[in-house]
Amino acid sequence: MKRLTSFYKYSHLNKLVLNISRQIPITKKRQHRPLEAILSISILAIFLVSLINFFNWILFHAEWNVVTGNIRLYAFGSFPQLYLWRPILWILLIIITSLLSIFSNRKSQIYNSLILAWILIVPIGIFLLAGGLILEPVASMYWGGFILTLLLTLSSGLIAFPIGILLALGRQSEMPAINKISRIYIDIIRGLPLITVLFFGQLLIPLFLPMDFEINRIIRAVIAFAIFTAAYIAEDIRGGMQSIPTTQKEAAVVLGLDKSQTNILILLPQALKTAIPALTNQAIGLLQNTSLMAILGLVELLGISRSLLANPAFIGKYLEVYVWLGLIYWLACTCIALIARSIEQKMQPTNLNAK
Amino acid sequence: MKLNKRILLQFIVFIVLVSIFLVLLNNLIVNILRTQIGLSFKWLLQPAGFALSESVLPFNPSNTYLWALCIGWLNSMKVVLSSLILATFIGTLIGMGRISRNRLIYIFSSSYVTFIRQIPLLLQLFFWYFVAFLSLSDIPLGYLGGLIQISNQGLFLLGVKLSVEFSALLIGLSIYTAASIAEIIRGGFTSVDKGQWEAYRSLGLPEKIGLARIIFPQALPAILPGLTSQYLNLAKNSTLAIAIGYADIYAVSDTTITQTGRAIEGFLLLLISFLILNLVISRAMEMVNKRILETVNRS
Repeated sequence: MKRLTSFYKYSHLNKLVLNISRQIPITKKRQHRPLEAILSISILAIFLVSLINFFNWILFHAEWNVVTGNIRLYAFGSFPQLYLWRPILWILLIIITSLLSIFSNRKSQIYNSLILAWILIVPIGIFLLAGGLILEPVASMYWGGFILTLLLTLSSGLIAFPIGILLALGRQSEMPAINKISRIYIDIIRGLPLITVLFFGQLLIPLFLPMDFEINRIIRAVIAFAIFTAAYIAEDIRGGMQSIPTTQKEAAVVLGLDKSQTNILILLPQALKTAIPALTNQAIGLLQNTSLMAILGLVELLGISRSLLANPAFIGKYLEVYVWLGLIYWLACTCIALIARSIEQKMQPTNLNAK
Repeated sequence: MKLNKRILLQFIVFIVLVSIFLVLLNNLIVNILRTQIGLSFKWLLQPAGFALSESVLPFNPSNTYLWALCIGWLNSMKVVLSSLILATFIGTLIGMGRISRNRLIYIFSSSYVTFIRQIPLLLQLFFWYFVAFLSLSDIPLGYLGGLIQISNQGLFLLGVKLSVEFSALLIGLSIYTAASIAEIIRGGFTSVDKGQWEAYRSLGLPEKIGLARIIFPQALPAILPGLTSQYLNLAKNSTLAIAIGYADIYAVSDTTITQTGRAIEGFLLLLISFLILNLVISRAMEMVNKRILETVNRS
């Protein structure tokens, strides 16, 4: 409305408005357009027909034994049956932590220890899967399916996050050397396709390590994912930092805080909060990206499905498997989005004013 | 005193990074010496010995590795450019749907965006390749009076034959990227001041003219940078071609590295070719940006 009033301030524009309105017949706000109606009806028709066909196929034509007969493979890969309780326990722990993150009260004791719980879930998972100490060891070649997808996502996310924060701080820093190094790192990684970074991880990381020092393929994949994701996280956090009004910085200076205190105590917490939606997208992207390891030979969720489809017993059952996988990925991504949204809502400082 | 502290901090970070780098480099040199293959690029001129499923320019197995990599690069370029056009077209339609006042179109385009974004691109590519194309019969299905023909041999568009790998990649990439482009288009349109919409509507301008002449030119500056980064994403995502057997630059490099065992050299070449691909796209978009913004500002 502001601009509209300024229209009438100038007389020559006034004349123009009159001229235009004389030339063009005044249209009503909501007009019946035959083209739009036809378009709507055809979209509705196509949508309904494909929906009916799809459900018809799901219920009557699809042969779901490729899914129902192999649930264990999809979930745990070829993890030994005797020790299946370990991955199951881990998944239960993850579910409990997720539910607590969504439903716990922000003032409760539990809520404050959730960050620690999310950090601990990764080493606990590795311990449960790999064994050692009191548990029987299980070689990483037997890990697979959805637990491997989860492990790749959680552990590379956990490593990438602090690196991302450091890079974001470095990118904002006024010290030329640190600034340059972070900028070069972020720009190079963001310019590369993920698969080349993963390829680097699988083929070239061993070349950069001392002789006779071998690390297994899953760790190499995690390193590659962390290297890649850190650059994107850094950019998201930097975006969050730039959105903070300069008055915050000025207030920190007035309070006598030095540069690093300002960054860590004032800017970073606010930047993280504003970056939550972008970081959620990164987490979802990371989960989806773990599927690329199927090309490089890990049997995570997509990889195990490829080897199932190569089995002569399930030949040609592509659609069943892909619909099933799509459903799992969709559910997992939705869960991440739900958790992130509830955390974001709890971080809104509404309670401060209520006092 | 404060200045010294900052210089010291930088110095320490620098020294730590350089020493890590040197240790890695040392390991690399030791490993290369140990395997006794050394570093060289002479193998590039040897005959490749593998066939490529498709090529823009003529290629046969007796051609050199260098030529094979060039063909791979051109194949990448081909699929990136064509999906770029198709994705922009679909993305604009869906993006317009996202701001449409028609409920049905709005719901349809919103569910398109959320659905496509929640499923990994690789899974979508597998779907298009194995389910949508390879499960068709070899008798072509014709649409629009035979202008478009689809079979398990690929697509026939106005007499141009597209291989099945290329078609699956083209459609998969375009549909995936279109979802992101739609969001950018929508963001651009909603960034235009609400008063501008009210202004042209109260002037009685028809919706089409108002959108095209008043809103669109103002939305463009917000749309173009996002569009460029989506095009770069598209180029990066095109490397998933290897999963469905399309001979793009990554797939050819992968075969080359497996055959020659030249991991480091092959990887360096891959990085350089990707750098060039990125540069081509971002430079072209820069020029387009300039052109468009100039004409918009002039009119």
